[in-house]
Amino acid sequence: MRSYLLRRLIGMIVVIFLVLTIAFVLVRLAPGDPASLMLGPDASPEEVAALRVRLGLDQPIIAQFGSFLANALRGDLGQSLFFNQPVTTVLASRAEPTIVLALFSLLVALVIATPIGIWAAYRRGSVLDQTSITTAMLAASVPSFLTGLVFQRYLATDLGWFPASGYGGAGAGFTERMRHLILPAITLGITNSALILRFTRASMLDILGEDYVRTARAKGMTERRVVLRHALKNAGIPIITVVGLTFALLVSGAVVTERVFNLPGMGNLVVNAVLRRDYPVIQGTLIVVAALYVLVNLITDLLYLAVDKRVKY
Amino acid sequence: MKFRATCLAGAAAVALCAAGPLAAQGNVDVAIIGDADTFDPMISTKDVVSIVTQHFLETLYTFDENWQVVPLLAADMPTISEDGTTYTIPLREGVSFHDGSTMDSADVAASLSRWKDVASRGMAIADQIGSIEATAPSEITITLTEPYAPLVTLLAFSNSAAVIYPEEIIAPEIKEPIGTGPYKLEAYQPDQYTQLVRFDDYTQPGEAAGERAQTPDEIRFIPVPDTNTRVEGLLSGQFDYADSLSTEAFARIEGSDVAEPVLLDAFGWPLFAVNHKKGLMTDLNIRRAVQAALPYDDMLFAAFGDEKFFQTDGALYPEGWPWHTEAATELYNINDPEKAAEYLAEAGYDGQPLRILTSRQYEFHYQMAEVAQMALEMAGFTVQLDVVDWATLAQNRDNPDLWDIYITHSPFLPEPTLTSSLFGTAREGWVNPDKEEVLERFTRETDLDARKAIYAELQEQVYGDVGMIKIGNFSAVQGKSRKLSGVVPSPWPAFWNAAKAE
Repeated sequence: MRSYLLRRLIGMIVVIFLVLTIAFVLVRLAPGDPASLMLGPDASPEEVAALRVRLGLDQPIIAQFGSFLANALRGDLGQSLFFNQPVTTVLASRAEPTIVLALFSLLVALVIATPIGIWAAYRRGSVLDQTSITTAMLAASVPSFLTGLVFQRYLATDLGWFPASGYGGAGAGFTERMRHLILPAITLGITNSALILRFTRASMLDILGEDYVRTARAKGMTERRVVLRHALKNAGIPIITVVGLTFALLVSGAVVTERVFNLPGMGNLVVNAVLRRDYPVIQGTLIVVAALYVLVNLITDLLYLAVDKRVKY
Repeated sequence: MKFRATCLAGAAAVALCAAGPLAAQGNVDVAIIGDADTFDPMISTKDVVSIVTQHFLETLYTFDENWQVVPLLAADMPTISEDGTTYTIPLREGVSFHDGSTMDSADVAASLSRWKDVASRGMAIADQIGSIEATAPSEITITLTEPYAPLVTLLAFSNSAAVIYPEEIIAPEIKEPIGTGPYKLEAYQPDQYTQLVRFDDYTQPGEAAGERAQTPDEIRFIPVPDTNTRVEGLLSGQFDYADSLSTEAFARIEGSDVAEPVLLDAFGWPLFAVNHKKGLMTDLNIRRAVQAALPYDDMLFAAFGDEKFFQTDGALYPEGWPWHTEAATELYNINDPEKAAEYLAEAGYDGQPLRILTSRQYEFHYQMAEVAQMALEMAGFTVQLDVVDWATLAQNRDNPDLWDIYITHSPFLPEPTLTSSLFGTAREGWVNPDKEEVLERFTRETDLDARKAIYAELQEQVYGDVGMIKIGNFSAVQGKSRKLSGVVPSPWPAFWNAAKAE
C-alpha cells in the first residue's frame, strides 16, 4: 500500500510537471501581448516595450521557465500581471465559490440521478425507465449555458427568487454568498445528473442480473434489501468513478456556468486570464487543476478499497 | 428518516435564502465590462479605468456638460503668456488627500512630471515641455518650448490622466494611489468588486466643475464581462447602473418597470485605421479605392441594426460639437465600385490581398468587416479578413507587416488632437507634409475660432489623403434603475451625485 501511494505521488509530480511545461510553452507561443492589453489602445510601442521589460516578458522563454520553476519549487507561483497580487492569493480567493459550487451541484446531480437510476434499472423497460433515459439525454444535450440563461431570466429576473449573478459583493456573509450559488448549482446539477443517472442505471442493470442477487432473493430477502444492500454496493465502483470525475470536471470546468452567473471562481478566472494573457495565472490554475485531477483519481481509487474488499493495491 | 430531515432542512435553507433582500440601500452598484486593471489612470488609456478612478483621483481641470474645460484642482484657468509658451496655474488651497495631507504645488509639479514621463499623452508632448515648476505654494508654472494649444485639455482628460498624487508616493509604479476625489478606494476584490467609500474631508470644487455631492455612501463597481449578464442584473434590480449594453437589449430594458435604457446619442465613431507604414495602403490610389468602395450606410446598418443607434455622417465630429464641419465630406459614402475599380487600375493593383484585421470582442467591428469585405471584393479587391481575439489584435496592430486596415472605434473626444491616428507617431504612421503643416498650425493656435477653421483643413486632409476612414456615428446603450437619478449620461459616467428613490 505504501509503495502504491509512493508510486502515485511520483506519477502526480510527473503529470503536474508535464502539464506545466506544455502550458508554459503554449501560452507564450500563442499570439497576444499582456502589455498591450494592460496599457490600452492608445499606448505607444515604446510604452508597451517598457512594460514588457518590467514584467520580464522580454526574457527568452527558457530563462522565464527556469525562473518560474525555481520559484514554483518554493511555493511561489509568481505575480498576476493584472491583479498585482500573488497567484496563490488569487487562486485561494477563487477556491470557495468553485469548490462549494462543485459540491452543491454534485449534490443536486446525485439527488436527481441516483434514485432515478436505481429505480429505472429495477423497473427496466417500464415507462419510468424510458422517461428517465429520454430526460437524461435531453439534460445532457442542452448546454449548461442555455439552462443557465433560462433560469437566470425567469427565476431571477422575472420572479426575483434568486440573485441573477455575482457572489454577493462587498461584505456579503456566508448565507448571502451561498444564495448566489443556488441557481448555478441547479444548472450544473441538472446537466451533470444525466451522466451519473446513466452510469447508475447501467451498473445496476449489470449487477441485478448477477447470480448472487438471484441467490439473495431465493433466500427470501426483501427487494429493498436486495437492491440497496447487495446490488447498489456492488454497483458502486463505476458510480464512484463517474462521480469523482464529475467532481473534478466541475471544479475545473464550470467555465460557462461561472461566466453566465458571473461567479468569481476558477473557471471565470482562467477564461479572463487567457483573454488577458495573464501567463502566471494561467500556469497557476493549470497546476491546481492538474493536481486536483490526479488527487481525485487517487481518492477514487482508494474509495474502491472501501467499497470492494477484493480490490488490493 | 435522517435523509428526509436533511432534505427538509435543505429546502428550508433554500427558501430562506431566496426570500432575502437583493441590495442594500445607500450604495450604488454599477456593472462595468471588466476590472480596472490598474488604479493608476496615468498609465492606462482604457475607458473602464477612467470610469472607476475619476471618483478618487482628480486632475487640475475637468470638463463641464458642454465639454468646455473648467478648473477642478486648479483655482482658475491658467494665465498664458503672450507667446503661448508659459502657463501659470493657480491651485486651490486646503484640498486634502485621502492620507490626510494637504495638496500643494510640490505635489502637483511632481505628479505632472511623472505624467510627462509615464503617460502616453504626456510622453507625446514631453519634447514640448521645457519645465514644470512649483513657483509658489499654490501655483505652478509650465514652460513650453513652443506653443501647444491643447495642453489644458490634456490636463483635463480622464484617460492617460494627469491626476494629482502626493509627492511622497510618486514613483514609476504606483500600486496604492492616493488622491483628492470625493470617494476613496476601500477594497478591491479582483473579478468581484471595487468598493469606494465617501471621503469625509472632501472639499468641493468651484461652481464651474459642478457639485460632487457624495450622495451614495458607497459606490461599487462590479465587473460583469458578459453583456447578457449585465442586462439581467440590471432588470432584476441587482445593479443600479450598467455600462455598455447591446442595442438588442434596448427594447427589453425600455419595457421594464425596474430599469430604463440610457442612450448616448452619437457616442462615438467606428473607424478603419489605415497602415501608412507598409503594404498596400501606402499607395494613395489604393486608399482612395477603399474609400470609394465602402458602403458606409450598409456597414452601419449591419453593425447596429436600427437607425436609432447610428447616423451615416462623414463629419469627424457630429453636429453640436465646436469641431463640426462638412469640409470634404463629399468623399464620404460614395459607395461606387466602378470608381473604386478605376483607382485600382491607376494603382496597377495585382490582386495582392488587402488584410483587414479585426476581432469579435466588439461584434459590430466584425459585422462591419463582413460587409466591407463583400463590397471591396465587388470593386475588384482580394480581401483577407483576419479575425483574431482581442489580445492578438492588440499585439498584431503594433506590427505594420501584419495588416493593411484594422477596425477600431473611439468616443468623440473633447479635443481633436486626442485622436492619436492623426499623428505620424501613432502606429498607423500617417505622415504627409501638408497634413503635418496643418496639424502644427492647429496645435499652436490658441484662438478657438481660428482653430475651428484650421480643423476644417485637417478634415480635408483626412479625406483627401485618406488618413483614416470614418464609418459613421454610433450611439451607445447604458441602463439605469428607474429609482436612480443624478447620473449624467457620458462615456465615463460619474456617480458622486447618484441618488436612489425609496
